[in-house]
Amino acid sequence: MISVQGLSKRYGDFSAVVGSDFEVASGEVFGVVGPNGAGKTTTLKILSGLIEPSAGTATVAGYDVTEPAMRSTLGFLPEESPLYEDMTPLSYLHFFADLYDVPREVATDRIDASLSRLELEHRTRRLGDTSKGMKRKVAIARSLINDPEVLIYDEPASGLDPLTTNEVLRFVAELADEGKTVLFSAHNLYHVEDICDRVIVMIDGEVVARGTVSEIRATHGTTEYHVYTTVPVEEKTTDSSRSSGNQLDGESETDPETEADAGAGTALDDGTPNPAPPMRNGAAATTVTEEGSTERYETVVPDMAAVEELRERASAAGGEVVDIRTVEPSFEEIFLDIARPSAGAGS
Amino acid sequence: MTKRLGSLVSLRRFTGTLRIARWELTRSAGGLDRRTAAFGLLVLALAGGAVAAGLAPSPGDVALDRNVYRVGVGANSPYYEVIAANGALAAKPPSADALDAGEIDVLVRDDRVLIEDSAKSRAALAAFRSATESYNDRRMRAEEDEIAAFPVGVSLTYEDRTLSSGASGSGASGSESSEAGQAAAGSDRAAGAPFESLVLAFAFLVPMNFVVQLYGSSMLGERTNRRGELLLVAPVKPTEIVAGKTLPYFLGLAGIAAVIAATVGGGIVSVAAVVPIGLCFLAATFLGSMLARSFKELTFVTIAASVFLMSYVFVPAVFTNVTPIALISPLTLVVRDLASESVSLGEYAFSTGPFYLSGLVLFVLGTGIYREEDLFTQRAVPLKFLDALGARLRRYRSVALLSTLFIPFVFIAELLGIAVLFALPIGYSLPVLFLVIATVEELGKSVHIYAGYAQNRFETGWRTALLLGALSGVGFFLGEKLTLLAQAVGLPELALGRAAFVPSGAGGIELLALALAPLALHCVTASISAFGAHRSKRGYLIGLLGAIGVHAAYNLTVVSALV
Repeated sequence: MISVQGLSKRYGDFSAVVGSDFEVASGEVFGVVGPNGAGKTTTLKILSGLIEPSAGTATVAGYDVTEPAMRSTLGFLPEESPLYEDMTPLSYLHFFADLYDVPREVATDRIDASLSRLELEHRTRRLGDTSKGMKRKVAIARSLINDPEVLIYDEPASGLDPLTTNEVLRFVAELADEGKTVLFSAHNLYHVEDICDRVIVMIDGEVVARGTVSEIRATHGTTEYHVYTTVPVEEKTTDSSRSSGNQLDGESETDPETEADAGAGTALDDGTPNPAPPMRNGAAATTVTEEGSTERYETVVPDMAAVEELRERASAAGGEVVDIRTVEPSFEEIFLDIARPSAGAGS
Repeated sequence: MTKRLGSLVSLRRFTGTLRIARWELTRSAGGLDRRTAAFGLLVLALAGGAVAAGLAPSPGDVALDRNVYRVGVGANSPYYEVIAANGALAAKPPSADALDAGEIDVLVRDDRVLIEDSAKSRAALAAFRSATESYNDRRMRAEEDEIAAFPVGVSLTYEDRTLSSGASGSGASGSESSEAGQAAAGSDRAAGAPFESLVLAFAFLVPMNFVVQLYGSSMLGERTNRRGELLLVAPVKPTEIVAGKTLPYFLGLAGIAAVIAATVGGGIVSVAAVVPIGLCFLAATFLGSMLARSFKELTFVTIAASVFLMSYVFVPAVFTNVTPIALISPLTLVVRDLASESVSLGEYAFSTGPFYLSGLVLFVLGTGIYREEDLFTQRAVPLKFLDALGARLRRYRSVALLSTLFIPFVFIAELLGIAVLFALPIGYSLPVLFLVIATVEELGKSVHIYAGYAQNRFETGWRTALLLGALSGVGFFLGEKLTLLAQAVGLPELALGRAAFVPSGAGGIELLALALAPLALHCVTASISAFGAHRSKRGYLIGLLGAIGVHAAYNLTVVSALV
């Protein structure tokens, strides 16, 4: 439904978008995420026909984005809701219906349906006198006035309270269920994770990650294995890629400083150096937990091979592995890992 | 089939324009508070009433003085018609007793005029005399044979004079002298009427200022908070949006002009002359609203445009029937129309052509930046102006086209130069005019080339610069031929007019050489500016000064020899 190939946009010496490539299938909810200045809005505006690309091609519903006819197939919602505040929701929506050549009766039914679904009251009140949430709902209703195949939403829940945000996202998900293709950007990555089928991550105008959230997690994130043993696991100093459990009497959790320095071989309570595995952020994690009256020793390792090795060492020490839990990083954590090197460069 | 499709597309575009126009109309009307609208209408009605009552062309009628003086006169007296036609005088039965009793102020009997020895009677006599003179003037002006009605003796004295540039000619001075003589006679003959018409003509200009303020505010409103973004993403073109938003204001201006014309006694000529002024005013405001970053800047731009336009159209109109230079203003046509004088098609084209063309070019430039990338960016006005020029430079040949399109502005600037320098002695005014012309034309040929370089639209290198200069020169040369319109109104009869537009007195090979010399001049000077522009802003300024110098030298040597 949307095809983007080698899309670039330059403003003088500044490159806002650099050779983007991606495809969005019909009925898909596709997320575009990235820090400020990453080129998300520019990409959406190019796809909406608002901005001409400097290079590359993009098609929406079979039309080149530079063709005026493409706009009839599209519903665009910009980040702000710049409405004509002296109009009422009804007159505003009817005006746009007129522009999109929607017959009056059809427009009336469509407007009524949209506003009912969005639970919009005060349809004849001046837009200037309505709340931000209501304005956003009117803007969303406007984007549906021509019954478009493709919806391009830039930050649809920007600046809204949690309740309205939830309503808006639920509505977007419903639209996708009805078969509309939705391309949207958001800063709130939980929203993206929640409703997007696939995602691209843009940094400095380039697409640096793509796929489903799970695929991106698999590629860019690290799964942690939390292994619980009945005995402290003996260290194995010869293998620096593994961690060892350690009982920390009287302490419920690892000292952050100790944790941070563990990789450098800082001595723990028993004075023995404690080499850490190459965990995410370079830190090892060893804690003692209690379940009932039984002491358990937790060791975090990065893969199943390390788990198996830990099991052997626990067995050798007369204990056993009683529990293994996997902890996956959130999409936000993965995004921060990807974006952090260039954070602050964008606007 | 293709033709039919084309018609459908055009119809669709027109429909889009009309939809936006209707919306703009309802929105503008809805945006006005009812009390404010009512107050505005009341003020307009009062102003209109004052104009109609105080300035309507019914000689001698002053509403407050109606029938203030009573004149005893018989119905068969030749003075009866004089009194009946004057609002301040009331005809009463002639009676000496009535005069004695103070029931009448003046008594006309057997061609004798009698009054009482009172202040009111004396004032009534003065009004009666004035009314009689006005009546006689009107009668004589209505005569078909004006020479018989106004026998004027003109004494012409031919004197040799030497131009400071070295050119001289008795023909030229003779032409000036006789023209001055005719003008004086014409001026005397039309004494009173042009001034009254001029004041009435000014009434056409006043409402324009209000309408353009509303228009500018609406256009800038689209740029505020990115409000116009959603119109840009709708299936309508920027030209449709601009046309749709402009149409109600343009029709409003035309409608107001028609109402004023009907009120003050103007005809279709008055309306047709005012419409291009309104169009140009709207276009300047539109471009201003595209360049301004805030309402404060827009106010500055619209007031600047208003002052310039009002001065340009009003001041020359003061010299209606005095000099053909007055015809640079369409308001002169209004003055003449109100004075029941005829206007030829050539005069109409000369007066209004630059306004129509300038208006269209301003709209073209403004529409070029009616797009997301320019509409919502905050850049200084001069930079935005360069953006507007750069947006129209798609190919190299666009340089030639823009040079041609700038001709109306060049024409207006040169006409303004003539009008301003008209009062100076020819020995001073001619060299100054040559310099003004050189500056205006070189700027018109090069500013868009500089804009193109500033926005990296051209390849660097001196060869490209020279090519652009040549293209600009050719475009300007072709467009310059439009100035032949000046022929239509006899402007070349004036020495300044000849200097600005039509080198005459040459023939054969000389004429051919003179026809091609400007082409070479324009290409060379535009290339000098372009060469400077391809290097830097400073380079452009130096190049422009060089080009002005070469052009002025050409004017002072070649053209002045022909004037």
